Amino acid sequence: MRYALLVLGGPYSHQAAHSALRFAHAAIARGHRVDTVFFYHDGIYNAAHFAAPPQDEPHLVDAWRDLQRTQGTALQVCVAAALRRGLLDAREAERHGKSGASLEPPFELTGLGQLLDIGQTHERLITFAP
Amino acid sequence: MLLHLLNRAPSSSSVHQDVLRAMGEEDELILIEDGVFGAVSAQVQHLPGLEGRLFALREDLESRGLAGRCDARVIIVDMDGFVALTEEAQRTVSWF
Amino acid sequence: MSEIPEAPHGDLLVMLRHAPHGGLWLREALDVALVGAAFGQSVSLLLMGDGVWALLQGQGPGPLGQKGSQSTFEMLEMYDIERLYVDADSLEARGLTRDDLLLPVIEVSTPELSTVLAGHRQIFNF
Repeated sequence: MRYALLVLGGPYSHQAAHSALRFAHAAIARGHRVDTVFFYHDGIYNAAHFAAPPQDEPHLVDAWRDLQRTQGTALQVCVAAALRRGLLDAREAERHGKSGASLEPPFELTGLGQLLDIGQTHERLITFAP
Repeated sequence: MLLHLLNRAPSSSSVHQDVLRAMGEEDELILIEDGVFGAVSAQVQHLPGLEGRLFALREDLESRGLAGRCDARVIIVDMDGFVALTEEAQRTVSWF
Repeated sequence: MSEIPEAPHGDLLVMLRHAPHGGLWLREALDVALVGAAFGQSVSLLLMGDGVWALLQGQGPGPLGQKGSQSTFEMLEMYDIERLYVDADSLEARGLTRDDLLLPVIEVSTPELSTVLAGHRQIFNF
Protein backbone atom coordinates (compact mmCIF):
# COMPACT_ATOMS: atom_id res chain seq x y z
CA MET A 1 0.00 0.00 0.00
CA ARG A 2 1.00 3.61 -0.39
CA TYR A 3 1.42 5.16 3.02
CA ALA A 4 1.73 8.80 3.94
CA LEU A 5 2.69 10.14 7.33
CA LEU A 6 1.60 13.40 8.94
CA VAL A 7 4.13 14.59 11.49
CA LEU A 8 2.94 17.24 13.93
CA GLY A 9 5.73 17.13 16.50
CA GLY A 10 9.17 18.68 16.31
CA PRO A 11 12.26 16.50 16.54
CA TYR A 12 13.49 15.66 20.05
CA SER A 13 10.91 17.73 21.93
CA HIS A 14 8.46 14.89 21.56
CA GLN A 15 8.62 11.33 20.41
CA ALA A 16 6.36 11.94 17.43
CA ALA A 17 9.15 12.26 14.89
CA HIS A 18 10.95 9.20 16.26
CA SER A 19 7.81 7.10 16.11
CA ALA A 20 7.09 8.30 12.60
CA LEU A 21 10.55 7.28 11.39
CA ARG A 22 10.31 3.88 13.09
CA PHE A 23 6.89 3.34 11.56
CA ALA A 24 8.15 4.35 8.13
CA HIS A 25 10.98 1.81 8.27
CA ALA A 26 8.68 -0.94 9.49
CA ALA A 27 6.13 -0.22 6.79
CA ILE A 28 8.83 -0.39 4.14
CA ALA A 29 10.15 -3.63 5.62
CA ARG A 30 6.64 -5.04 5.25
CA GLY A 31 6.71 -4.20 1.57
CA HIS A 32 4.75 -0.97 1.61
CA ARG A 33 5.75 2.34 0.12
CA VAL A 34 5.99 5.43 2.26
CA ASP A 35 5.58 7.92 -0.53
CA THR A 36 5.04 11.13 1.38
CA VAL A 37 5.70 12.66 4.76
CA PHE A 38 3.87 15.92 5.42
CA PHE A 39 5.16 18.13 8.20
CA TYR A 40 2.68 20.48 9.90
CA HIS A 41 2.43 22.43 13.15
CA ASP A 42 5.69 21.99 15.07
CA GLY A 43 6.51 19.04 12.82
CA ILE A 44 8.04 21.54 10.43
CA TYR A 45 11.09 21.70 12.67
CA ASN A 46 12.05 18.26 11.32
CA ALA A 47 13.19 20.18 8.24
CA ALA A 48 15.54 22.50 10.11
CA HIS A 49 18.60 22.66 7.92
CA PHE A 50 20.95 23.69 10.68
CA ALA A 51 19.96 21.03 13.20
CA ALA A 52 23.10 19.90 15.00
CA PRO A 53 22.23 17.33 17.67
CA PRO A 54 24.94 15.78 19.83
CA GLN A 55 27.00 13.10 18.09
CA ASP A 56 25.73 10.33 20.32
CA GLU A 57 22.07 11.00 19.53
CA PRO A 58 20.08 10.09 16.44
CA HIS A 59 20.16 12.76 13.77
CA LEU A 60 16.49 13.00 12.90
CA VAL A 61 16.77 15.55 10.12
CA ASP A 62 19.36 13.35 8.41
CA ALA A 63 17.12 10.34 8.94
CA TRP A 64 14.38 12.05 6.98
CA ARG A 65 16.85 12.98 4.27
CA ASP A 66 17.96 9.35 4.10
CA LEU A 67 14.36 8.24 3.68
CA GLN A 68 14.00 10.53 0.71
CA ARG A 69 17.31 9.38 -0.73
CA THR A 70 16.71 5.65 -0.41
CA GLN A 71 12.95 5.44 -0.91
CA GLY A 72 12.13 8.55 -2.89
CA THR A 73 9.80 9.67 -0.11
CA ALA A 74 8.56 13.23 -0.67
CA LEU A 75 9.21 15.46 2.34
CA GLN A 76 6.59 18.19 2.24
CA VAL A 77 6.52 21.03 4.73
CA CYS A 78 3.50 23.29 5.13
CA VAL A 79 4.70 26.71 4.02
CA ALA A 80 2.45 28.74 6.34
CA ALA A 81 3.44 26.69 9.38
CA ALA A 82 7.10 26.91 8.44
CA LEU A 83 7.18 30.62 7.77
CA ARG A 84 5.59 31.68 11.02
CA ARG A 85 8.08 29.46 12.86
CA GLY A 86 11.10 30.77 10.99
CA LEU A 87 11.88 28.00 8.53
CA LEU A 88 12.40 29.53 5.12
CA ASP A 89 13.81 28.07 1.94
CA ALA A 90 15.99 30.17 -0.37
CA ARG A 91 13.05 31.54 -2.29
CA GLU A 92 11.06 32.56 0.77
CA ALA A 93 14.18 33.97 2.42
CA GLU A 94 14.72 36.23 -0.55
CA ARG A 95 11.07 37.22 -0.62
CA HIS A 96 11.31 38.27 3.01
CA GLY A 97 14.65 39.96 2.70
CA LYS A 98 16.52 37.41 4.81
CA SER A 99 20.01 36.15 4.08
CA GLY A 100 20.49 32.39 4.21
CA ALA A 101 17.94 29.64 4.09
CA SER A 102 16.93 27.48 7.03
CA LEU A 103 15.20 24.86 4.92
CA GLU A 104 16.68 23.13 1.92
CA PRO A 105 15.94 20.26 -0.42
CA PRO A 106 15.00 17.47 -0.17
CA PHE A 107 12.48 19.17 2.14
CA GLU A 108 10.06 21.26 0.10
CA LEU A 109 7.63 23.95 1.16
CA THR A 110 4.14 23.27 -0.10
CA GLY A 111 0.63 24.50 0.54
CA LEU A 112 -1.72 22.86 2.99
CA GLY A 113 -3.78 21.72 0.04
CA GLN A 114 -1.15 19.06 -0.52
CA LEU A 115 -2.19 17.43 2.74
CA LEU A 116 -5.75 17.10 1.53
CA ASP A 117 -4.46 15.70 -1.72
CA ILE A 118 -2.38 13.11 0.09
CA GLY A 119 -5.49 11.66 1.67
CA GLN A 120 -6.84 11.00 -1.80
CA THR A 121 -3.70 9.56 -3.35
CA HIS A 122 -2.41 7.32 -0.56
CA GLU A 123 -4.19 4.34 0.94
CA ARG A 124 -3.17 5.12 4.49
CA LEU A 125 -2.34 8.36 6.28
CA ILE A 126 -0.95 7.96 9.80
CA THR A 127 -0.54 10.95 12.10
CA PHE A 128 2.21 11.21 14.70
CA ALA A 129 1.56 14.07 17.13
CA PRO A 130 3.35 15.46 20.17
CA MET B 1 -13.21 -0.35 11.56
CA LEU B 2 -10.90 2.36 12.83
CA LEU B 3 -7.57 2.11 14.62
CA HIS B 4 -7.00 4.72 17.31
CA LEU B 5 -3.52 5.76 18.42
CA LEU B 6 -3.07 7.11 21.94
CA ASN B 7 0.23 8.54 23.11
CA ARG B 8 -0.76 9.96 26.51
CA ALA B 9 -0.82 8.18 29.83
CA PRO B 10 -4.19 8.08 31.62
CA SER B 11 -2.35 9.28 34.69
CA SER B 12 -1.38 12.56 33.06
CA SER B 13 -4.13 13.34 30.58
CA SER B 14 -7.86 12.75 30.31
CA VAL B 15 -7.84 12.37 26.53
CA HIS B 16 -8.19 8.60 26.95
CA GLN B 17 -11.75 9.22 28.10
CA ASP B 18 -12.55 10.97 24.85
CA VAL B 19 -10.93 8.16 22.87
CA LEU B 20 -13.04 5.53 24.59
CA ARG B 21 -16.23 7.49 23.99
CA ALA B 22 -15.44 7.92 20.32
CA MET B 23 -14.54 4.31 19.64
CA GLY B 24 -16.90 2.06 17.76
CA GLU B 25 -17.59 -1.49 18.94
CA GLU B 26 -15.02 -3.02 16.65
CA ASP B 27 -12.47 -0.23 16.71
CA GLU B 28 -9.02 -0.97 18.09
CA LEU B 29 -6.74 1.09 20.28
CA ILE B 30 -2.97 0.99 20.27
CA LEU B 31 -0.94 2.64 23.02
CA ILE B 32 2.30 4.16 21.83
CA GLU B 33 4.93 6.46 23.32
CA ASP B 34 3.80 7.64 26.77
CA GLY B 35 0.45 5.96 26.15
CA VAL B 36 2.07 2.66 27.15
CA PHE B 37 1.98 3.77 30.78
CA GLY B 38 -1.72 2.97 30.52
CA ALA B 39 -0.87 -0.67 29.87
CA VAL B 40 0.36 -1.46 33.37
CA SER B 41 -2.03 -3.37 35.59
CA ALA B 42 -2.64 -0.47 37.95
CA GLN B 43 -3.66 1.81 35.10
CA VAL B 44 -5.36 -0.39 32.53
CA GLN B 45 -8.60 -0.02 34.49
CA HIS B 46 -8.83 3.39 32.83
CA LEU B 47 -9.20 1.65 29.47
CA PRO B 48 -12.13 -0.67 30.11
CA GLY B 49 -14.19 -2.68 27.68
CA LEU B 50 -11.52 -3.26 25.03
CA GLU B 51 -10.94 -7.01 25.36
CA GLY B 52 -8.96 -8.20 22.39
CA ARG B 53 -8.87 -4.69 20.97
CA LEU B 54 -6.22 -3.05 23.14
CA PHE B 55 -2.60 -3.08 22.00
CA ALA B 56 0.68 -1.61 23.20
CA LEU B 57 3.88 -1.05 21.29
CA ARG B 58 6.66 -3.28 22.55
CA GLU B 59 9.57 -0.95 21.93
CA ASP B 60 7.90 1.87 23.87
CA LEU B 61 7.18 -0.50 26.77
CA GLU B 62 10.76 -1.75 26.78
CA SER B 63 12.44 1.61 26.60
CA ARG B 64 10.38 2.68 29.62
CA GLY B 65 11.18 -0.44 31.62
CA LEU B 66 7.59 -1.68 31.44
CA ALA B 67 8.05 -4.94 29.58
CA GLY B 68 7.42 -7.04 32.66
CA ARG B 69 4.61 -4.83 33.92
CA CYS B 70 2.22 -4.90 30.99
CA ASP B 71 -1.20 -6.20 31.95
CA ALA B 72 -2.24 -9.51 30.41
CA ARG B 73 -5.28 -7.86 28.86
CA VAL B 74 -3.04 -5.75 26.63
CA ILE B 75 -1.74 -7.31 23.42
CA ILE B 76 1.89 -6.38 22.87
CA VAL B 77 2.91 -5.78 19.28
CA ASP B 78 6.16 -4.73 17.72
CA MET B 79 6.42 -2.12 14.98
CA ASP B 80 5.67 -4.71 12.32
CA GLY B 81 2.49 -5.59 14.20
CA PHE B 82 1.60 -1.91 14.47
CA VAL B 83 1.89 -1.57 10.70
CA ALA B 84 -0.27 -4.68 10.33
CA LEU B 85 -2.96 -3.08 12.49
CA THR B 86 -2.98 -0.03 10.22
CA GLU B 87 -3.39 -2.30 7.19
CA GLU B 88 -6.47 -3.91 8.65
CA ALA B 89 -8.16 -0.69 9.74
CA GLN B 90 -9.75 1.50 7.13
CA ARG B 91 -8.50 4.63 8.80
CA THR B 92 -6.32 5.55 11.74
CA VAL B 93 -7.16 8.36 14.18
CA SER B 94 -4.43 9.79 16.40
CA TRP B 95 -5.19 11.24 19.83
CA PHE B 96 -2.79 13.40 21.82
CA MET C 1 -32.62 10.60 21.75
CA SER C 2 -30.66 11.27 18.62
CA GLU C 3 -29.90 14.87 17.79
CA ILE C 4 -28.37 13.99 14.50
CA PRO C 5 -30.92 14.83 11.80
CA GLU C 6 -29.34 12.69 9.12
CA ALA C 7 -26.61 10.07 8.95
CA PRO C 8 -23.33 11.92 9.28
CA HIS C 9 -21.36 11.79 6.08
CA GLY C 10 -18.74 13.76 4.28
CA ASP C 11 -15.33 13.77 2.77
CA LEU C 12 -13.49 15.32 5.65
CA LEU C 13 -14.00 15.44 9.41
CA VAL C 14 -11.78 17.78 11.37
CA MET C 15 -11.93 17.16 15.11
CA LEU C 16 -11.15 20.14 17.30
CA ARG C 17 -10.08 19.32 20.84
CA HIS C 18 -8.07 22.39 21.78
CA ALA C 19 -9.28 25.77 22.98
CA PRO C 20 -8.40 29.09 21.34
CA HIS C 21 -5.43 31.25 22.30
CA GLY C 22 -3.54 28.76 24.49
CA GLY C 23 -1.83 27.29 21.48
CA LEU C 24 -1.91 27.07 17.73
CA TRP C 25 -3.74 23.73 17.41
CA LEU C 26 -7.15 25.27 16.86
CA ARG C 27 -5.93 27.75 14.25
CA GLU C 28 -4.01 25.17 12.29
CA ALA C 29 -6.87 22.67 12.54
CA LEU C 30 -9.30 25.22 11.13
CA ASP C 31 -6.86 25.93 8.30
CA VAL C 32 -7.08 22.27 7.30
CA ALA C 33 -10.88 22.45 7.32
CA LEU C 34 -10.95 25.66 5.29
CA VAL C 35 -8.49 24.34 2.73
CA GLY C 36 -10.53 21.17 2.41
CA ALA C 37 -13.67 23.19 1.78
CA ALA C 38 -11.85 25.44 -0.69
CA PHE C 39 -10.85 22.29 -2.57
CA GLY C 40 -14.48 21.33 -2.88
CA GLN C 41 -14.62 18.64 -0.22
CA SER C 42 -17.61 18.33 2.07
CA VAL C 43 -16.25 19.21 5.48
CA SER C 44 -17.63 18.67 8.96
CA LEU C 45 -16.19 19.80 12.27
CA LEU C 46 -16.52 17.88 15.52
CA LEU C 47 -15.75 19.81 18.69
CA MET C 48 -14.81 17.70 21.69
CA GLY C 49 -13.21 18.36 25.04
CA ASP C 50 -11.76 21.86 25.25
CA GLY C 51 -12.48 22.30 21.56
CA VAL C 52 -16.04 23.33 22.51
CA TRP C 53 -14.63 26.54 23.97
CA ALA C 54 -13.73 27.51 20.42
CA LEU C 55 -17.38 28.31 19.72
CA LEU C 56 -18.05 30.38 22.82
CA GLN C 57 -19.57 33.77 22.10
CA GLY C 58 -17.75 36.88 23.12
CA GLN C 59 -14.17 35.89 22.37
CA GLY C 60 -11.66 38.46 21.33
CA PRO C 61 -8.14 38.75 19.99
CA GLY C 62 -5.24 37.92 22.26
CA PRO C 63 -3.59 40.57 24.42
CA LEU C 64 -0.63 40.80 22.02
CA GLY C 65 -2.95 41.12 19.07
CA GLN C 66 -3.04 37.41 18.23
CA LYS C 67 -5.92 36.58 15.98
CA GLY C 68 -8.50 34.48 17.75
CA SER C 69 -10.73 32.00 15.99
CA GLN C 70 -14.04 33.78 16.28
CA SER C 71 -13.75 35.47 12.90
CA THR C 72 -12.76 32.19 11.28
CA PHE C 73 -15.83 30.48 12.66
CA GLU C 74 -18.00 33.30 11.42
CA MET C 75 -16.59 32.62 7.94
CA LEU C 76 -17.43 28.94 7.92
CA GLU C 77 -20.76 29.40 6.23
CA MET C 78 -19.05 31.21 3.38
CA TYR C 79 -16.88 28.15 2.92
CA ASP C 80 -19.83 25.81 2.91
CA ILE C 81 -18.88 24.21 6.20
CA GLU C 82 -22.28 23.69 7.68
CA ARG C 83 -22.07 20.62 9.79
CA LEU C 84 -20.73 21.61 13.17
CA TYR C 85 -20.96 18.67 15.52
CA VAL C 86 -20.43 19.26 19.21
CA ASP C 87 -19.93 16.57 21.81
CA ALA C 88 -22.84 17.04 24.22
CA ASP C 89 -20.90 15.71 27.23
CA SER C 90 -18.09 18.19 26.65
CA LEU C 91 -20.56 21.08 26.58
CA GLU C 92 -22.28 19.97 29.75
CA ALA C 93 -19.04 19.40 31.63
CA ARG C 94 -18.13 23.01 30.92
CA GLY C 95 -21.50 24.43 31.90
CA LEU C 96 -22.34 25.40 28.34
CA THR C 97 -25.47 25.07 26.26
CA ARG C 98 -25.99 25.67 22.57
CA ASP C 99 -27.26 29.16 23.46
CA ASP C 100 -23.75 30.11 24.53
CA LEU C 101 -22.30 29.29 21.14
CA LEU C 102 -21.58 31.44 18.12
CA LEU C 103 -23.23 29.20 15.57
CA PRO C 104 -25.93 26.56 15.31
CA VAL C 105 -24.54 23.15 16.15
CA ILE C 106 -25.59 19.52 16.05
CA GLU C 107 -25.18 18.04 19.49
CA VAL C 108 -23.80 14.53 19.49
CA SER C 109 -24.34 12.06 22.28
CA THR C 110 -21.60 9.63 23.25
CA PRO C 111 -23.02 6.63 21.35
CA GLU C 112 -23.29 8.79 18.24
CA LEU C 113 -19.64 9.87 18.23
CA SER C 114 -18.39 6.75 16.47
CA THR C 115 -21.11 7.19 13.86
CA VAL C 116 -19.83 10.65 13.08
CA LEU C 117 -16.28 9.35 12.68
CA ALA C 118 -17.39 6.40 10.59
CA GLY C 119 -19.34 8.64 8.24
CA HIS C 120 -16.37 10.57 6.94
CA ARG C 121 -13.78 9.42 4.43
CA GLN C 122 -10.91 11.23 6.04
CA ILE C 123 -10.43 12.26 9.66
CA PHE C 124 -7.98 14.75 11.13
CA ASN C 125 -7.86 14.99 14.90
CA PHE C 126 -6.30 18.10 16.40
